[in-house]
Amino acid sequence: MASDVATVRGQQTTLEHKPPRSRWWREVGWRHVIGVVAIAYCLLPLLYILSASLNPGGSLTGSNQLFKTIDFTNYSDLGSTDFSTWAVNSLIVASVTAVGTVLMCASAAYAFSRFRFTGRRATLTGLLLVQMFPQTLAFVAIFLLLLSIGDVFPVLGLNSRLALIAVYLGAALGTNAFLMYGFFNTIPRELDEAAKIDGATHAQIFVTIILRLVAPILAVVGLLSFIATYGEFVIARVVLQTPENFTLAVGLYNWAADERNAPWGLFAAGAVIASVPIIVLFQFLQRYIVGGLTSGSVKG
Amino acid sequence: MTRTDVDTPTPSPAPRERRRFGSSGLGLGFVIKLVLVALVDALGVYGLLAAYAVGHWGIITTLAIGLVVVNWVYFSRKAIPAKYLVPGLAFLLVYQLFVMLYTGYVSFTNYGDGHNSTKSDAISAILLQNDRRVEGSPTLPMAVVQKGDELGFAVIEEDGQVWVGTADQPLEAAPDAVVQDGRITEVPGWDVLSYAQVIERQADVLELRVPVSDDPNQGAVRTQNGTSAFASRSIYTYDADADTMTNTDTGAVYRPNDQGVFVSDDGAQLTPGWRVAVGFDNYVAMVTGSDLSAYFFQVLAWTFAFAILSVGTTFALGLFLAVVFNDERIKGRRAYRSLLILPYAFPGFLAALVWRGMLNQKFGFINEALLGGANIPWLSDPWLAKLSVIGVNLWLGFPYMFLVATGALQGLPGDVMESARMDGASPARIFRSITLPLVLVATAPLLIASFAFNFNNFALIYMLTGGGPNFPDATVPIGATDILITMVYATAFEGGARDYGLASAMAIVIFIFVGVISWAGFRRTRSLEEI
Amino acid sequence: MRRIPRGLAVAAGVGLLLTACSGGTSEEPSASDTTTTDESSSPALEGTLTIWADETRVDDVKTIAEAYTEQSGVQVDVIQKASTDIGNDFITSVPTGEGPDIIVSAHDGLGGWVTNGVVGTVDLGDKAGEFSDAAVKAMTYDGQVYGVPYAIENIALIRNNAIIQDTPDTWDAMVTAAQATGAKYPIVIQQDPTNGDPYHLYPLQTSFGAPVFATENGSYTNELAMGGPEGTAFAEFLAAQGAAGILDTNISADVAKEAFLNGEAAYIITGPWYVSDFTAANMDISVLPIPSAGGQPAQPFVGVQGFFPSINTENPLLVNDFLVNFIATPEVQTQFYELQGRVPAMTAAAEGLSDPILLGFNEAGASGAPMPAIPEMSAVWEWWGAAEADIISGKAPADERWATMITNIQSAIGG
Repeated sequence: MASDVATVRGQQTTLEHKPPRSRWWREVGWRHVIGVVAIAYCLLPLLYILSASLNPGGSLTGSNQLFKTIDFTNYSDLGSTDFSTWAVNSLIVASVTAVGTVLMCASAAYAFSRFRFTGRRATLTGLLLVQMFPQTLAFVAIFLLLLSIGDVFPVLGLNSRLALIAVYLGAALGTNAFLMYGFFNTIPRELDEAAKIDGATHAQIFVTIILRLVAPILAVVGLLSFIATYGEFVIARVVLQTPENFTLAVGLYNWAADERNAPWGLFAAGAVIASVPIIVLFQFLQRYIVGGLTSGSVKG
Repeated sequence: MTRTDVDTPTPSPAPRERRRFGSSGLGLGFVIKLVLVALVDALGVYGLLAAYAVGHWGIITTLAIGLVVVNWVYFSRKAIPAKYLVPGLAFLLVYQLFVMLYTGYVSFTNYGDGHNSTKSDAISAILLQNDRRVEGSPTLPMAVVQKGDELGFAVIEEDGQVWVGTADQPLEAAPDAVVQDGRITEVPGWDVLSYAQVIERQADVLELRVPVSDDPNQGAVRTQNGTSAFASRSIYTYDADADTMTNTDTGAVYRPNDQGVFVSDDGAQLTPGWRVAVGFDNYVAMVTGSDLSAYFFQVLAWTFAFAILSVGTTFALGLFLAVVFNDERIKGRRAYRSLLILPYAFPGFLAALVWRGMLNQKFGFINEALLGGANIPWLSDPWLAKLSVIGVNLWLGFPYMFLVATGALQGLPGDVMESARMDGASPARIFRSITLPLVLVATAPLLIASFAFNFNNFALIYMLTGGGPNFPDATVPIGATDILITMVYATAFEGGARDYGLASAMAIVIFIFVGVISWAGFRRTRSLEEI
Repeated sequence: MRRIPRGLAVAAGVGLLLTACSGGTSEEPSASDTTTTDESSSPALEGTLTIWADETRVDDVKTIAEAYTEQSGVQVDVIQKASTDIGNDFITSVPTGEGPDIIVSAHDGLGGWVTNGVVGTVDLGDKAGEFSDAAVKAMTYDGQVYGVPYAIENIALIRNNAIIQDTPDTWDAMVTAAQATGAKYPIVIQQDPTNGDPYHLYPLQTSFGAPVFATENGSYTNELAMGGPEGTAFAEFLAAQGAAGILDTNISADVAKEAFLNGEAAYIITGPWYVSDFTAANMDISVLPIPSAGGQPAQPFVGVQGFFPSINTENPLLVNDFLVNFIATPEVQTQFYELQGRVPAMTAAAEGLSDPILLGFNEAGASGAPMPAIPEMSAVWEWWGAAEADIISGKAPADERWATMITNIQSAIGG
């Protein structure tokens, strides 16, 4: 693991230089203080949710004694709901969307960064503008679009997870291509030139050189796309209509929408479990995100 | 997208050297390409046939053009950038651009409550809604009969007499009909339908009205279950040739007007109406209609403040923390980063709901547990509510910026930093002169995207404050934390009738507005990077 | 001269002229006889029905639907929709053909569905008489019946018998007595800091003689009736109760329920949906009519739940069979009551009630006013709640704020 290496390297530094305590405080220690404060800010509402999830009659206001009861009823009750189906749906939809987004955006960013062609600026500006469109107000159009498509390709019609993925992919270029584009621009062109002299085609340069160097941003975009898709419910609840196709966000939203008997305890437990895949994914991708470029060829 | 300049690798007839890369002429890559394009073509052709079968000319045209473009792009030696752009752009065009265009189209119609469907739907709804059982009409046993393709009803009168008729033929006595155990088994000249056959044609059966006699005021026989009938009468009759509705009680005639509704000479209207194009009416209504315009600029100002502050605070905190943890000597860096990402791992609308509870003035966790029973109206004071919205959004949004900034910091050229450090530049100076500009280059488009996202951040406002606290004197349900998109939602969907036409018009206006501003901002960032 | 069928013609004459003697109708055979024979001998139906229900009803509707499938062979798909979306989704989906065959809902969305022409009609025929008057009236809009009711629901005063045993006649007496017990809250009524909760305050409002809309022949007109001195009196009452701390906009539904569950409140005004939680916690409670605050009877809103057909269904015959021959039977109505704990809409089923809690709700709702189903109602809620919240929290003077609200609602509904 990259960070293990980093830690080891850090220890070596300590052994070699033996910095005095005051210097450690000045250069490293204060960072821990900030870290602790930031984490407190992060975690407080999450502890609150965790506490609510452990309280069978939990609510979102009024139960201010954290961890008054520790009871896993809510978690076991999840078993009798559609929760696991939703979780699987969410994972499928978010994973496919994330992979598709990364592939499409990386290709687009490569084209924008490495080629000069007519309409390039216009396309870039167009991409930027398209994402400004308030999708929330366009749900009627999405509904009717999928209705028509469904007449021809039933798998891409309403109430289909694949259709939802397609809608998400439609929005993929807007945001993420730019993020990628910025990073692609930081990769020196000399690398491409050298490969070109070696006889590489554009596809070979893209796959074997560029993609490896931009691995961190691929990981970041993949993660961002996964998370955004995972928590999206405004479009998802227009597209998905029956509980067996719901994603977690839609399912949980439906629980929360119950004005009278919202099962807050169940809801909180569901939210806690729902966050696990994101945390795991982040753990897995962290080495790419923060360690990727440091040993790459860019430096050398 | 066709012209390529010197940058692109022009296929040279005789490559001088091939040290690391082999020929790509008919290699693995080509095979993959072939298979993928063939797959797309197969699906496309299937789609063309299916679309032809259901007569969807819009889809046929789109598919045909799409197929030509895909095949040309991938088998041409030119258009190299297009090979990389087509997949993403295809999705974009179908799922984004079409949605935008369609929204534009809706904005010129009166689609919404009361104008929900087509004219023929409206006509049948009006007829059905006003089709009442003739008071005191008995429920009589009946059978559905058929002659050729024409459906008819056979009804057993109270005296045992059977009557038969169709939509065009009022009931006539059928003295030779056979009745067994109260059921009609045979009507000469007609086929008596079995129950299964009735179910097969159930829509037709339920729509059928057989006039009781030549006098329309006596109503018509109808059935709801195929086995018993009663006489009913619609107050309105529709004359297809004259395109008018007539009230048979009063004789009043209703004519369709250009707003998609039947209206009588004295101005009375029939509901429902139907969808029609209304030109710029929705746009005009936005400016002149309600008191919306009075609050428009107030809401607009707050929308900008909210979007800018959201981007500013989240980026500042995210970058700050990224810089703080971008030091290999920190033990547990990985743990810190994992914990800092947690708020992002929760679905945003859920977090907004939780914060709403925590910010409750009297019972919320913040006031009661953290501030020792303070009585701060976090969500019901206009300014505190604004602060709360920004604060919650900071919590929700900074992990995103933290991630992006962490990634960006990794991409910084290490040698430049190193030499700056060698030259004795202070950390603050390195940050200001090297780190920040470089990070900004990588993230500037992203900041604009974030601005756009927050400009339309519906879920947060809707779930946290619902736009409230409302302006007490406003004659539209708008509040201090409403941003443009929640204002549109409140006025077009929540203030009584749902008005998709108006909402679409507002969406278009917002889009043009934020688009122009972002475009201007985008042009300015060109000083930071070359495009 | 053509002869015309006698029974139908005479009956038509009765309906049309309202003057004919009743001779024709008196000799009609009882329709229910023929219906029964038809039912028993009709072959099995086939096909599929799609029903939409929200999260509070979906499980029970599924149970009922299974019984129908067993009995008739018709496959029934019950689909859950969020209660906040179900009515509007129905309006959007029905014209496209993507809508359900039947929607299960409270009756207050009916006006909107009729205005949009998405709901079909039901002819209850003779069965109309088997339902309580209020229930059928709720399914009726502009003289046409659009649904089959199955349950009635309303709020009531719930008493924690461990704290107090009084059955109060007036609001003030109740508060005084409850305060004397030393309970933390004499009474909790759920509110929201910005949106208030007019539904839970409505019985108090009607006790001042200020109903939301004027009524004509028992159905609501779109003429606002809560202005005037009666409305102002109610507003002043809210301000006074807010100042005294009896009403508090920070008491959300969660807080109110927790407080009552924890034995901190002597009374709560709420509906059957929380009662199962109270009884599950082994609380000793009684359900009572809501006491009057302004001298006139306190009338809670009565919501009637029913099954409504879509106007655009491929299986109208099945829909009708399901609604009229299945839902509108005492057995199914009783089964619903056992599942949901709401007062059945069918008189025969309601007469069998013995549960004191349901009887309590029934009694509290006896004087109730049906929830308005006219589309104008949706414009009222937001203004109404915000104004009440402002008045209770003392943010604005009661009379002025109430007057502003009336003006705003009137301009919103164009009335």
